[in-house]
Amino acid sequence: MSSNESNSNSKELLKMIGINKYFGKVHALQDIDFKLNKAENVGLVGDNGAGKSTLIKVISGYHSAEKGQIYFEGKKVRISSPKDSRALGIETVYQEQALAPDLSISRNIFMGREPATALGFLRKRVMDEESMDALKSMGLHLRSPNINISTLSGGERQGVAIARALHFEAKLVILDEPTIALSVKEVREVFEFVKQLKREGIAVIFITHNLYHIFTISDRIVVLSHGKKLADIKKKDTNVDDLSEIIVRGTIG
Amino acid sequence: MKKLGLSLILNYNINTSITFVAIVLFFIIFTPNHLFIDLRNLASMGKLIPDLGIVALGVGMLMICGEFDLSIASLIPLCSYVFVTLLMKGINPALALIILLPVGAALGFINGIIVVKTGLPSFIITLSTMMFWRGVVFSLSRMSPISITKYISPHPSFEKMLTGTIGRFPLQVIWFVVVAIIFGLLLHFTKFGNWIFATGSSKETARAMGINTNMVKTTCYIIIGVLCAVVCTLQSVRLGSFNATQGVGFELKTIAAAVVGGTSLRGGVGNILNIFLGILIIKIIENGLILMKVPVFAVETFIGLAIILFVIINNFIQRRTT
Repeated sequence: MSSNESNSNSKELLKMIGINKYFGKVHALQDIDFKLNKAENVGLVGDNGAGKSTLIKVISGYHSAEKGQIYFEGKKVRISSPKDSRALGIETVYQEQALAPDLSISRNIFMGREPATALGFLRKRVMDEESMDALKSMGLHLRSPNINISTLSGGERQGVAIARALHFEAKLVILDEPTIALSVKEVREVFEFVKQLKREGIAVIFITHNLYHIFTISDRIVVLSHGKKLADIKKKDTNVDDLSEIIVRGTIG
Repeated sequence: MKKLGLSLILNYNINTSITFVAIVLFFIIFTPNHLFIDLRNLASMGKLIPDLGIVALGVGMLMICGEFDLSIASLIPLCSYVFVTLLMKGINPALALIILLPVGAALGFINGIIVVKTGLPSFIITLSTMMFWRGVVFSLSRMSPISITKYISPHPSFEKMLTGTIGRFPLQVIWFVVVAIIFGLLLHFTKFGNWIFATGSSKETARAMGINTNMVKTTCYIIIGVLCAVVCTLQSVRLGSFNATQGVGFELKTIAAAVVGGTSLRGGVGNILNIFLGILIIKIIENGLILMKVPVFAVETFIGLAIILFVIINNFIQRRTT
C-alpha cells in the first residue's frame, strides 16, 4: 500500500486536500484541492477576491489553513511560517515586495541567508560571485552585483528575484503577478526567466490577471472564484475565450 | 572605477564630505585670528562632540532601520540620575557604569517593544516616552543639579580613562572613534547590518525573507539605550555633576546630524562615515559661529539655515545624478 502510494506520487510535488480558510466570517478558501507535479507550470487565475493570494499565502506560510492537508514530495507537511516553506524549497516572489529597493543585488539575493563568518561578518566576495553566477544562469547580464535594485528595470528586478530562487535550489517558485506594470519587452524577459526555471526542473505557480500571459507560459490552468475552485484544465483542452467565459460567468459550461 | 565601487557598496554620499571640507575651510578662514584651528579650540571641541556624537551614531543606525528615537533627550538625564544615585550609595563609579549599561538597555527595550507591538509611528511613541521620562527625572531630582566631584575624585583613574587627556588630546575622541568604527563594521559588514538595511528599505521584503524585523528594530533601540548610559557618564564626569537638562535638544540634533550625513528619513539609506561627518558638521557650525561672535542665542537659527541649505542642495544634486 505504502509503496504503491509513493510510486503514484513520484511525479507529484505538491498536493493540497480540502483546504479551508476563514477571515472572520469570510470563507476565503472553500475545500480547495490543488495538485502540482515536478517541473510543472500552473497558472492560477481568477478575479480580485477569488482567493488566489490567500491560497499562495497558505503555501508560503503567511496564513495557516483551518482545515486541510498539505503534502510536499509525498510527505505530509505543516507550513506555519515563511521559514517552514522556504525550508521545504518553496520560494515566493511577491509582486512589489520581492526585493528591497535600496539594497544591492547581492545583498538582496542573500537577504536573510547571508553567508557569514562565525563572528557574523558577511562573506561579501562569495555573495558577489554567486550572485553574478545566478544572474548569468538566467541569461541576465548586469554590470555589477553592487548596483542598487532601485536602478534596475521591472523585468530585471523579476530576474533577480527568480535568480535568488534558482540559487537556493527551490523546487517550487510562486510568482505573484510577476508581469504586472511591466512593458511588453519586459514581460517577454520574464517569460524567458520562467522558461529557464522549467528547464531547471523547477515547478512554478504563476498568478496573473492576464489570460494571454497564462496561455503563453503555463501547462495547466486553475481558476478560482469566490474561494472555490472553478476549473482545473490542461492548456491544450481550452482556449482564452472559453477561459474568460468561465471567469466572467463564475460557472463552467 | 574602484572608488565608484566602494561608494556603491557603502552607499557613500559624497556631498557630505564636500560640505564638511567647505565648512572647515570657511571657519578656518573667517574666524577671528583663525581661532578655529587653534589647538585649544580643537581640544575643547574634542571634549564636547563625543557627547552628542556617540548617541547620534545609534540614532543614525536606527533611522536606517526606518525608525526614530526622540526619547534620548530624557534617557540621558535619567541614566545620569541613576548614576548619581548609585554613586551616592557609595558604589564605585566603574561598577556604577557597569550597572548603568543594562539600565540603559532596559529603557531602550521599552521604547522598542512599544514601537514594534503597536506598529505606530516611532516619532510619536518616543515623543511620549521622552515626555514621560522627563517628568520622572524632573520630579525625582526636583531639577536641582547634584555635584559628583566628591565621588569621582577618589577614583582618578576612572576619570582619566573616560575624560582625561594625552597631552592636549582628549580621550573622549578615542571613545567616539572606537564607537564609530564598531558601528561602521556592524552596519556595513555584518549579517545584522544587512538586516537593518533590509528592514528599513522594505519591512515586508525583509519579513518574507525570514528576517525578524521586530527583533532588529528592538535591538537598535536597546543599543541606543546603552549608548545613552555611556554618554551620560561621559557628560556627568566631564561636568562634575548631574544635571536634569543634560541631553535636552539632543533628540533633534541627532536627527539633524544623520540627515546632514545623507541618511534617509524613510529608512534603508545611510552610511556611518557620512553620519560621523554629519555630526562633526553640526558641531563645527555651532563652534565656528560662536567663535565668529554670533550671539549664542542666534546660533540655532544659523544651524537651522545650514540644514535647510544642505538638504536642498543634496536633493538637487541627487536628482541630477540619477
